[in-house]
Amino acid sequence: MAAVAASIPPQWYLLLAAGVFSIGLFGILTRSDALYFLMSVELMMNAANINFVAFSLYYGDLTGQVFALFVIALAAAEVAIGIGIILVLYRNFGNIDVTVPTEMRW
Amino acid sequence: MVDAFAYVPAVVLLPFFSFLVALGAGKYLPKGGAFGGIAATAGSFLLSLWIAATVAGGRAYNETLYTWAGGDQFELTFGALVDPLSALMLVIVTLVALLVHVFSLGYMNDEGETGLPRYYAGLGLFTASMLGFVVADNLLMAFMFFELVGLCSYLLIGFHFREPGPPSAAKKAFLVTRFGDYFFLVGVVAVFATFGTAAFAGEGSFPALAEAALAADGGAGVWTPGGLDVGTWFTVVGLLVLGGVVGKSAQFPLHTWLPDAMEGPTPVSALIHAATMVAAGVYLVARMYGFYALTPTTLAVIAFIGGFTALFAATMGVVKDELKQVLAYSTISQYGYMMLALGAGGYVAAVFHLTTHAFFKALLFLGAGSVIIAMHHNEDMWDMGGLRSRMPVTYYTFLAGSLALAGIFPFAGFWSKDEVLYEALVHGLNEPLLLGGYVMGLLAVPVTAFYTFRMVFLTFHGEPRTDLAEDPEPVRWNVKGPLTVLGTLAVVTGFINMVPVQKVLGLEGIDYLHRWLDNEWGGIAGLSSHHYADIGPYSSGSLVGGEVGTVLVGAAVSLGLALAGLGLAWRLYNVASPAEHTAKLGGIKDVLYNNYYLDELQVWIAYRTEDVAGGADVFDQGIIDGVVNGVSSVSLAGGSRVRRIQTGLVSQYAAMLTLGLIALLVLVGVNGGWFL
Repeated sequence: MAAVAASIPPQWYLLLAAGVFSIGLFGILTRSDALYFLMSVELMMNAANINFVAFSLYYGDLTGQVFALFVIALAAAEVAIGIGIILVLYRNFGNIDVTVPTEMRW
Repeated sequence: MVDAFAYVPAVVLLPFFSFLVALGAGKYLPKGGAFGGIAATAGSFLLSLWIAATVAGGRAYNETLYTWAGGDQFELTFGALVDPLSALMLVIVTLVALLVHVFSLGYMNDEGETGLPRYYAGLGLFTASMLGFVVADNLLMAFMFFELVGLCSYLLIGFHFREPGPPSAAKKAFLVTRFGDYFFLVGVVAVFATFGTAAFAGEGSFPALAEAALAADGGAGVWTPGGLDVGTWFTVVGLLVLGGVVGKSAQFPLHTWLPDAMEGPTPVSALIHAATMVAAGVYLVARMYGFYALTPTTLAVIAFIGGFTALFAATMGVVKDELKQVLAYSTISQYGYMMLALGAGGYVAAVFHLTTHAFFKALLFLGAGSVIIAMHHNEDMWDMGGLRSRMPVTYYTFLAGSLALAGIFPFAGFWSKDEVLYEALVHGLNEPLLLGGYVMGLLAVPVTAFYTFRMVFLTFHGEPRTDLAEDPEPVRWNVKGPLTVLGTLAVVTGFINMVPVQKVLGLEGIDYLHRWLDNEWGGIAGLSSHHYADIGPYSSGSLVGGEVGTVLVGAAVSLGLALAGLGLAWRLYNVASPAEHTAKLGGIKDVLYNNYYLDELQVWIAYRTEDVAGGADVFDQGIIDGVVNGVSSVSLAGGSRVRRIQTGLVSQYAAMLTLGLIALLVLVGVNGGWFL
């Protein structure tokens, strides 16, 4: 398995990561539902994880994998906070559309 | 052994604390904070006595306590200078302030005035500023406290701010003295620029440097503008500082604020005239006398202004109808005498007259305050009369003060005024300008005696002319107490310096004030009357019969003139129902009554210079403020445009983040040469 993964050139991993990241970014820029935001952010983080693991494999260095684990833990924490924000959003505005609360403008 | 000099700041700070207490908590305290003020001034008085005793023990104090701005060229500091002169002044100021506080219990509290915390706060700050001024060890610090004194006078003269008169009088006092202070400020800057220091005493003080510069040929070591001659430049600097003195000490032509300042409460008038504000000017000249003694022209100007003011103000006092107005003009006149003495090289005489005047003028004002209480705040002397038997304590103390003011032997004023005139005479025999000052000072003597006793006779003698005078309101201990203390002092203060007696009888060593100011007990080198006489420009002459003859003739002439004035007042006004004799003066009366139309002249000058003031206003509002406002409105307008990017929509923030990232990438890429 590892041999198969190692035999794939690193460019492909990078292309995959860039694609996943762009999907996440596209979600953030176009969607107005807060839950989609959360999921899009998750995609962008995992794009970064793919890069970490791919380079870790390529260089034979475990540091990248350790960082991927850190990012997963960070993502979990971020989701916890994000869900909390969304709950408050729902309580105050009756829905979770991020274009509705604009009180923080000038 | 605790050092008295460690408590010099406390002397200043105690009244300042009473100011804070009266301001912050006055309305919760009994008597509106009066007791705090009394305790503070009493404390300061005791400390001052202790300090004076230490100075008498042969020590002096000249320390920099705090440097609030230091640089390569100048150091701006607060310090304390205690020598015989400032120790004497500390005692005078704190004593008069204490008595004024006590008197205020009777004049303000018992009369049911409102706003008492404000009043006592003002008194406290006034006393504190004056004490700070007295102990100041450099000219800049003196200037700052000088200004504080002016501010306090503004606050206290305008105490009854709901009536129309006092606020306008307060404004006038502030503006007129500010006009003089403007020159003083320029003078302070000039002193710094010339000498690099403004210290009063010590090796590197500016009088010492000035002396050294004049001794060295060509004025080495000091800066003068455009290579001006040192002596000329020193004269200019001296005259600039003198501007502040003329304003504060109410000398011609800036005396006009003082009679109007009578709108303030009477105890405040006593404080202003006897110990604080007006005394500040004369004290300043005495403080830096080591500098003034070097410039003969300045001295001559001081003497001439002083002599002229003495006579000029005395003539106006003759026709006034209100008790306090007469006293106001007498104050201007008496300070004229002090200036005459200073200008004539009579440093000790000036300080002597300052001392005796502080006591008898405080006494006269407090006595007038007592009469005003009794007369339910009617000040017109023509409504009084016959108060002698109805208020004996006030009468006898007031009489003592009046005899002192008129210069009748052996009251305090006789000794000091006689010495002032003697100094002017012996030095003036070789100096025409001084002799002119002396003649005017001498002519003012009978006028002074006349208006003083016109006031006494109209107020206390004869028959009561109104129902109010028939049945005056009684005054309490808090009025009689200070009067008694000051009345005693007005009688005995003259005995500290009986120079004529010493000279005529050949007794040695009874001129205590001379010895005190000559550092005989202790002091700072270079600040003694002997030193001033050495560097001063005058030599003594004498009339027939040598020194003794001159003393006797001088004293006899001034006493004779004073008695003549008194006698005239006696003849005209010491009758059962006196009439106004001023009508006989004809047109002169109107001129005198309207103060020689000087107020009108000042208003006229103010209107003539309206365009200049208007131009300055346009420049200030248009150019200076325009630049400042322009800068702020540009950033305000810019801000209100730029803030619109804060839409509050989180999607747009994300888009901007992305765009920013792309822009950065492109920038880095172009710089890195990716696209080539």
